[in-house]
Amino acid sequence: MKKVIFAIIFILILTTSLVKNSTKEIEDKIFMVNENIRPLKSELGDVLLEYNYLSSPDKLTQYQSQYFEKELVKIDIMKIKKLTKKNNYIKLSDFIDKTIDE
Amino acid sequence: MNDNKNNVTLEEYENEFSYKKSKTNLNIEFNRIAFIFFIFLAISIIYSIQLLHLGSLKIKNETKALIAKKSYRADIMDRNGNYLVKTVSSIDIGINPVDVIDKKKLLINLKLIFPNKDYVKISRKLEKKKYFYLEKKISVDDYEKIMMLGDKSIKSEEKLTRIYPQKNLFSHIIGQIDDDNNGISGIEKSFDKELKEIKKPLKLTVDTDIQFLIREELIKFQPIFQNIGSTAILMDVNNGEILSMVSLPDFNLNKRKTISDLNYINRATKGVYELGSVFKTFTIAAGLDAGLIKPETKFLNLEKKLICGKNTITEYDNKILSDLTVEEILIKSGNIGSVKIGQMLEIDGLKSFLEKIGVLYKIDFDIEEVGQPIPFRWGKCKLATVSFGHGITTTPLQLAKAYGIITNGGLKINPTLIKNKKEKNKKRLIKKDTSKAINLILRKIVEEGTAKLANVNGYEVGGKTGTANKSIKGGYSKKKINTFSSIFPTSNPKFVLVVLMEETQISPDYIYEYRDGSEFKLKGSPRNTAAWTSVEVASKIIEKIGPILATKYIEN
Repeated sequence: MKKVIFAIIFILILTTSLVKNSTKEIEDKIFMVNENIRPLKSELGDVLLEYNYLSSPDKLTQYQSQYFEKELVKIDIMKIKKLTKKNNYIKLSDFIDKTIDE
Repeated sequence: MNDNKNNVTLEEYENEFSYKKSKTNLNIEFNRIAFIFFIFLAISIIYSIQLLHLGSLKIKNETKALIAKKSYRADIMDRNGNYLVKTVSSIDIGINPVDVIDKKKLLINLKLIFPNKDYVKISRKLEKKKYFYLEKKISVDDYEKIMMLGDKSIKSEEKLTRIYPQKNLFSHIIGQIDDDNNGISGIEKSFDKELKEIKKPLKLTVDTDIQFLIREELIKFQPIFQNIGSTAILMDVNNGEILSMVSLPDFNLNKRKTISDLNYINRATKGVYELGSVFKTFTIAAGLDAGLIKPETKFLNLEKKLICGKNTITEYDNKILSDLTVEEILIKSGNIGSVKIGQMLEIDGLKSFLEKIGVLYKIDFDIEEVGQPIPFRWGKCKLATVSFGHGITTTPLQLAKAYGIITNGGLKINPTLIKNKKEKNKKRLIKKDTSKAINLILRKIVEEGTAKLANVNGYEVGGKTGTANKSIKGGYSKKKINTFSSIFPTSNPKFVLVVLMEETQISPDYIYEYRDGSEFKLKGSPRNTAAWTSVEVASKIIEKIGPILATKYIEN
């Protein structure tokens, strides 16, 4: 009986130390990943800022007048269509029910 | 006795042998220990010195971190995750002339990196022996090049700067900060503490694309109607989220100028105006909600003129009939009919309704630049004038809120600029039937009343116009405040759009295109009223932003 108890305690101590060791390893890995993410996050922020500036409506209209001859046109909501997928076929319908405004 | 002597000899021997030898040995041991102890002491002193040195370095780093923390400010984004404000670190390059070894060599090297600089000026500055900035907010490439020179006199300073990629677009909403990183206006001021503490960007309810399109329309019409300023607010009537809030004139936040000109105030929140007939909707809604009237209730033999004290109340249009239903009073914007309904409500009835929808007192909003509606004393004459929107002031933001409540089914909403603000269970302020009835009348105003130009196909626009003379000390000037408060779609309202234009003029050349299907065009504005100014602007705005709103924000 005593032997069994000692064996259990020994196994528990061994597994605890193994688990603790692996936890520490994982923690180290997490720390490393977090540290690697930090500069990437800051880089992403800078890139996003650049993208937001270059694709801002102000810039886009500027490019449009600079590089294209045609003016931007307003979209008529009555011409917008809606695609709905039902079972295996796609249904095309008006986005706005034309009867409402008539 | 001899034996005793022998014993003494033994004692002597013992003394000589052990005492002397052991004494010498003891001395050698003590010196060794002392030597080792001394070595350890020396090492520990060196180590302590090193520790102290490291300690002082840590303090320096902490100060640096503290400075960085002091100038830290969270970014601000729009509802779609686009940056409106971002804190970026920038590097300024300075030169300390005292450390310059070879002036000629330095100038040649600098000219290779910055060819467009005035080197006569720089040379003069170098002679003055005073530290100066060569270039501020330098690019990474130039920074690397300049550091490769390895010149001792070149110093780099890292700074945190606030960048506003949308320039003027959100100037009144975002506001400014001072040199000490403290917000002095807009969101920067009211969320100063949060912005210094939170790690994630602050998300606003505004949409950059919609804000741009609305601002573009307001700017386009400024030279046409020669107004000194204008404002537009687009708000979701169901949750109070503001998708756009433009006030013109605005300013570029990147320039960090001190704004002292009063014309630059945030007209949407700070501007307190007498808005005229847009208030008639409130009088009629109050009457309907109190059960005193129905849309079809008829008022017969309405006078053309009412005199109350020193005031004479007349119809703006003499063609308005003497017999009108409640619905017709609002559609034709009848002053006398509105006064009659106001009188039926009495002071308490109208006052409590206006309090409920939040137009009487200062609004609690996300930015501090909020105007205070001018307080007044209620009386019989005041009741009469307030009924048709005169002698009562409020801000365009409060007008948008009130129209939102009346048209969303009567539920309480609070205008907000902050996304994901948790709203408690919405309180019912007015009856659902009142809201439905008002929506139908507002639609008719656009279909057959004063706002026909706003009848943009496909959006079921409804709304009420308001033309008021600008109040000045002791009376009214001839200058106009033209307002159009619209909602769409009226069958199930989603958005309220308020357009206000200050001090508009008649445009002799502008061509109006009628929206009644006749394709009729009219050159020049017949009158300086909201119907011919702000309604036209609102219709153009709805036409442009409508497809975005319909496809992005309305679930079909």
